[in-house]
Amino acid sequence: MIGSVVPVVRRAARRPAATLVFAVASLVTVPAALAQDAAAWINRAATAARQLNYSGTIVYQHGGHVETSRLVHVFDMSGEFEKLTNLDGPAREVIRSAGEVRCYYPDAKVVRIEPRTFRNAFPSLSPQQQKSLLEFYDFRKAESGRIAGIEVQAYVFEPRDGLRYAHKFWADPNTGLLLKARMLNELSDVVEQFAFTDIAIGARIDRTLVRPSWSTVPSDWQVRQEGPGDLETKETGWTVSKLPAGFTKIVEGFRTLRGKRFPVAHLVYSDGLVAVSVFVEPMASTPHQTGAVQQGGTHVYMRQLDDHLVTVLGEVPQVTVRQIANAVMRR
Amino acid sequence: MREEISRLVDGELEDEQFDTACGELKQGEGMATWVCYHMIGETLREGSPGMAPGFSQKLLDRLAAEPTIVAPRPRLRVERPMTYAWAAAATIAAVALTGWVALSVVEPNGAMALAKAREAAQVRAAHLRPAAVPQDYILAHQEYSPTTPLQGLGPTFRTISVQGGDGR
Repeated sequence: MIGSVVPVVRRAARRPAATLVFAVASLVTVPAALAQDAAAWINRAATAARQLNYSGTIVYQHGGHVETSRLVHVFDMSGEFEKLTNLDGPAREVIRSAGEVRCYYPDAKVVRIEPRTFRNAFPSLSPQQQKSLLEFYDFRKAESGRIAGIEVQAYVFEPRDGLRYAHKFWADPNTGLLLKARMLNELSDVVEQFAFTDIAIGARIDRTLVRPSWSTVPSDWQVRQEGPGDLETKETGWTVSKLPAGFTKIVEGFRTLRGKRFPVAHLVYSDGLVAVSVFVEPMASTPHQTGAVQQGGTHVYMRQLDDHLVTVLGEVPQVTVRQIANAVMRR
Repeated sequence: MREEISRLVDGELEDEQFDTACGELKQGEGMATWVCYHMIGETLREGSPGMAPGFSQKLLDRLAAEPTIVAPRPRLRVERPMTYAWAAAATIAAVALTGWVALSVVEPNGAMALAKAREAAQVRAAHLRPAAVPQDYILAHQEYSPTTPLQGLGPTFRTISVQGGDGR
């Protein structure tokens, strides 16, 4: 049954006008038994995140770093809008709408505008990815609890090998919306966590709450049109000779990145739950720092290959990005 | 990794953990971290004559009051009269050395980024940490990450939370 509901819900996401009511209704009537199916469960969470109205306070933690923000998300006949306002540190607002993200930095008088789309996202996983997901992760129901005043149910994706992290998600059983997400390493340390501390779901939200505080950008601000640009899909001439189990190639192509003279090859591999990106570019004449770095839940490994720089990054342990980086070679 | 190196310095590791940690020292910030932990340890052990009670709390208070500095500290020797200030500086230097190493990675405008980061540090103290990898790479990667859409703008934290106060 979920198979027939998903395409309808997906089409509803593209034509919100008439089918919104149906989409919301179908979210509420999905029976709990289907939660046992990992892909379907994530499906539901992704759809809820896109198609519900919700606002609340969200806390992001990684390492010893904690950051609190206000998040407002609206989905109506004009589309999907989202606003994130940080409550500590330098003032900052992030507004997402119609495939674009704007970051306002009032202290520095800067606005960054970036295109942002989500491809290869649930529910559009390939059959191969869905197969990997179930083969390399053990999906199980965990404890119930309370988050932000809401009774939630936790689910865990437990990796079957040491090449991936465990992912634990707490969702509101009524809507499927994720209220807390956590990545854990092999020692069960929390690598990264997002959690709502308060949230209101489903109510109508005033559109002004997802608009930037500056309706027009002040004239003394700097406007930066930035972002990774589009991926031009084609063979790059590079490949990963031996991939870790479960990872398959999703896409391959070239990007023109700001500040780089030459296009950068970008290959993406996924095991169904997470992705790892491989970037290969000609190295400038000055040698670059290589080695391992971690940023939040993302591990990065860089190495030199002939006269190229290979950068591998993803939400996986260091050993995995390193293994992939060391297996990069010309096709 | 820092945790392992810290335990290595304290002699708490055994066997294969020891080997792994020694391996970590060879990479990137590992050696810088190891040096810093030794400096911090020496400083706190030697102390200054008649170290006042409540030293730890005062140190924490001073650390909280210090602005985060994103620049390498060239001096690596402990000098007695400076012990108090040095302990705070050593910890900040540990972060700064990591940051300096990280900033010089692949960042096409490394020097400009460093200058802008200093500017941002003057604006706020708080959790300023320079970007380890050009953010364009992470943004490009997130477009294809299957779980990104579950959390809406959540994964945005991974990029914007390291940009500090000026959007770099």
